[in-house]
Amino acid sequence: MKVLVAVKRVIDAYVKVRVKSDGSGVETANVKMSMNPFCEIAVEEAVRLKEQGIASEVVVVSCGPQVNQETIRTALAMGADRGILVQSDEELQPLGIAKLLKSVVEKEQPDLVLLGKQAVDNDFNQTGQMLSALLGWSQGTFASKIEQQDGKLRVTREIDGGLETLDLATPTIVTADLRLNEPRYASLPNIMKAKKKPIETIEAEELGLDIAPRLKVLNVSEPPARQAGVRVESIADLVDKLKNEAKVI
Amino acid sequence: MSTLKMQQSGLPEGLEDLLGSKGLLTGEAAQEYGRDFMGEVDNAPLAVLRPETTEQVAEALRICTEHGLSVVPQGGRTGLTGAGVPTRPNHEVILCLGRMNKVRWLDEKNHAMAVDAGCILADVQKAAADANRLFPLSYGAEGSCQIGGSISTNAGGTAVLRYGNTRDLILGLEVVLADGTVLDMMRALRKDNTGIDLKQLFIGSEGILGVVTGAVLKLYPAVAERECALLAFPSLPAVMQSFAIARESTNDRLSAFEMMPQNGITLACERVPDVVDPVEGDYPWYALLEVSASKQGSGLQEMLEGLIERLMEEGLVLDGTVSNSESQRAQLWRIREALVEAHNDMPHLLKHDVSVPISDMADFIETATDKVQEIAPDAMLIAFGHVGDGNVHFNICHDENNPNGSLATRKKEVTRAVYDLVQDYRGSFSAEHGVGSMKRDALRRYRSESEIAVMEKLKKALDPQGLLNPGKVL
Ligand SMILES: Cc1cc2nc3c(=O)[nH]c(=O)nc-3n(C[C@H](O)[C@H](O)[C@H](O)COP(=O)(O)OP(=O)(O)OC[C@H]3O[C@@H](n4cnc5c(N)ncnc54)[C@H](O)[C@@H]3O)c2cc1C
Ligand SMILES: Cc1cc2nc3c(=O)[nH]c(=O)nc-3n(C[C@H](O)[C@H](O)[C@H](O)COP(=O)(O)OP(=O)(O)OC[C@H]3O[C@@H](n4cnc5c(N)ncnc54)[C@H](O)[C@@H]3O)c2cc1C
Repeated sequence: MKVLVAVKRVIDAYVKVRVKSDGSGVETANVKMSMNPFCEIAVEEAVRLKEQGIASEVVVVSCGPQVNQETIRTALAMGADRGILVQSDEELQPLGIAKLLKSVVEKEQPDLVLLGKQAVDNDFNQTGQMLSALLGWSQGTFASKIEQQDGKLRVTREIDGGLETLDLATPTIVTADLRLNEPRYASLPNIMKAKKKPIETIEAEELGLDIAPRLKVLNVSEPPARQAGVRVESIADLVDKLKNEAKVI
Repeated sequence: MSTLKMQQSGLPEGLEDLLGSKGLLTGEAAQEYGRDFMGEVDNAPLAVLRPETTEQVAEALRICTEHGLSVVPQGGRTGLTGAGVPTRPNHEVILCLGRMNKVRWLDEKNHAMAVDAGCILADVQKAAADANRLFPLSYGAEGSCQIGGSISTNAGGTAVLRYGNTRDLILGLEVVLADGTVLDMMRALRKDNTGIDLKQLFIGSEGILGVVTGAVLKLYPAVAERECALLAFPSLPAVMQSFAIARESTNDRLSAFEMMPQNGITLACERVPDVVDPVEGDYPWYALLEVSASKQGSGLQEMLEGLIERLMEEGLVLDGTVSNSESQRAQLWRIREALVEAHNDMPHLLKHDVSVPISDMADFIETATDKVQEIAPDAMLIAFGHVGDGNVHFNICHDENNPNGSLATRKKEVTRAVYDLVQDYRGSFSAEHGVGSMKRDALRRYRSESEIAVMEKLKKALDPQGLLNPGKVL
């Protein structure tokens, strides 16, 4: 089984994000970027499938500028076999990315496409679903477990109030949730090996797709600052505040 | 005792009027302030004074001096040599700076900020970070210790290699002397050669010469890019050789090189929740290495990978990992912190915080290990430290199954052997933690008579009645 994993480069989840003063977006200059944590989980899962002998090849794809090669390199150090950069310096939104991924899928013919359930920069949670619609493939979103079962993929999904289990015929699309696995640390020998693994570059422009942004950001603003706590004098005081100020009891 | 009027509690009357009820704790409320971090000293104070302003500190000290009352300056009480707590029960008052915790100003252009001495170190780091600046001082106690305590112990920590000790980070100081004189040296200047640089006297002198009430701190551009690696080594000399190569080949970007022994990491993984060793095999020594820069895209990753490639080719590094996100980086640093937590409560723990010239570190650790094993063959040694600073935390304990091991009766002998060896290397028996009440004998043994004599003269000149932090250092 051939697995294609899509990875996104985002502002590191630990970095305190600053909103641009004109409200047009967030500050990305001189800010630490890393692989989207859910994408990291997707890569880890693909590598585990390979280690279990279920996957035969793991190909990593990222859409965006040249520096995304670093993110691909990270995935290669974790154990992916080769990378594809779909290069574009334009703003890419989920629909555009899904279209680019579709053309990579058509070229690579994977049996499984793994993605993160969402990216922590825009929290769209759309790309996997759109790709599924564009390809007409089945999808298992928010996966917390993936097993092979009678030639199908059995995917456990985290849904409101419980778990849902799906058997998916391949080719299919799965998006990774937080509890799917704990991504590994790349070992030094694997980091060195990753340098020699191939990364192919495809120019997005040359694919002739309409990837223009459909969404327009009107304004980005900081959430209101949390107010400092107060120390109450007594339990009665606390109950009074919960009742009359916070109105939660 | 003075003839001036005292209250029943033995406290001068003026103190309560000066400080109010929140500023003066007695009895049970005061008791915990007499206990040090490791629980090795527990002497209840007569009272705890908690002033809110420099003027209150000055007036309180004046009153105490007038009444011949001994005063222990206290910060966050995280010190490791019993310096911040009384040496006698019910005899001394503690002057705790905790309520003086305001940032006075922050000047980005001048890369400087002024703070009250009672600010918690982590809050100072955060205030600097919010202004896109770095206050580099950082160590395990940063969530509790105060800037005044860091100054008074000249604390080091994990960023000394790049930014120096606390002393190197102080531009100005505000100090109150025992008689209540306020020395305002809050100048935010990088150059100021006007006579004797008095502030230096109070940095690292553990509260025996004056009480620090404020400081002007040196800031740096914020770190925008950093790469962190955990490296596994075949031997101690390989660690040292790798450090030397790293220092030369990282374009002055090296900001940490923390050495850890395998047994320390194993203990951390076993005894501290959520700590994982990301390296698969077992190796005798590890180091956490970090390079950092104030600008993204300065090629740190290639530099680090180039360095590691070279170290691996030369057989100096056998395995390891490079963090690929800030979250992985935090987990690697967690190992370093947990290593300390994991053995803090081991039976008969003996801590030695020593320094030797960097080039002698491997030799020192190997020789000291042999010497300790001769005296206490069943002891467990955990030697870790800041390689860039020549600083080894040469800690010795027993494992939990051996609570009655040989250290129980041989602690003095072991420490003597370690310190004597340190002296042979012209090292220091206390690199970071100071002298306090616990290492006074060592100070007399290992510092020359003339050095001690000058220290005593300085003490006498600034605190003639000997009321500030008695029983400490000298
Ligand atoms: C977990 C842990 C990790 C540590 N790691 C390091 C490390 O890596 N490097 C290192 O150097 N140290 C380290 N230390 C020890 C370090 O010396 C103290 O943590 C810290 O610097 C003391 O600050 P404090 O505010 O707690 O002071 P306290 O413990 O309250 O006092 C320490 C000394 O300073 C004096 N003092 C405090 N405030 C003032 C003031 N305003 N004016 C005059 N004198 C004052 C006290 O009288 C006393 O002599 C560590 C301690 C712990 C518990
Ligand atoms: C062309 C020029 C350029 C300069 N540029 C700079 C500059 O960029 N930055 C800067 O800071 N200064 C500069 N200076 C001044 C600087 O202070 C002196 O040049 C130098 O530091 C003094 O060294 P010296 O050996 O000539 O000492 P001297 O001039 O002989 O003495 C200077 C002082 O030091 C004392 N002293 C000398 N040796 C000892 C000793 N062994 N023990 C105790 N005390 C001693 C003397 O008693 C005297 O107080 C410059 C001077 C010149 C002439």
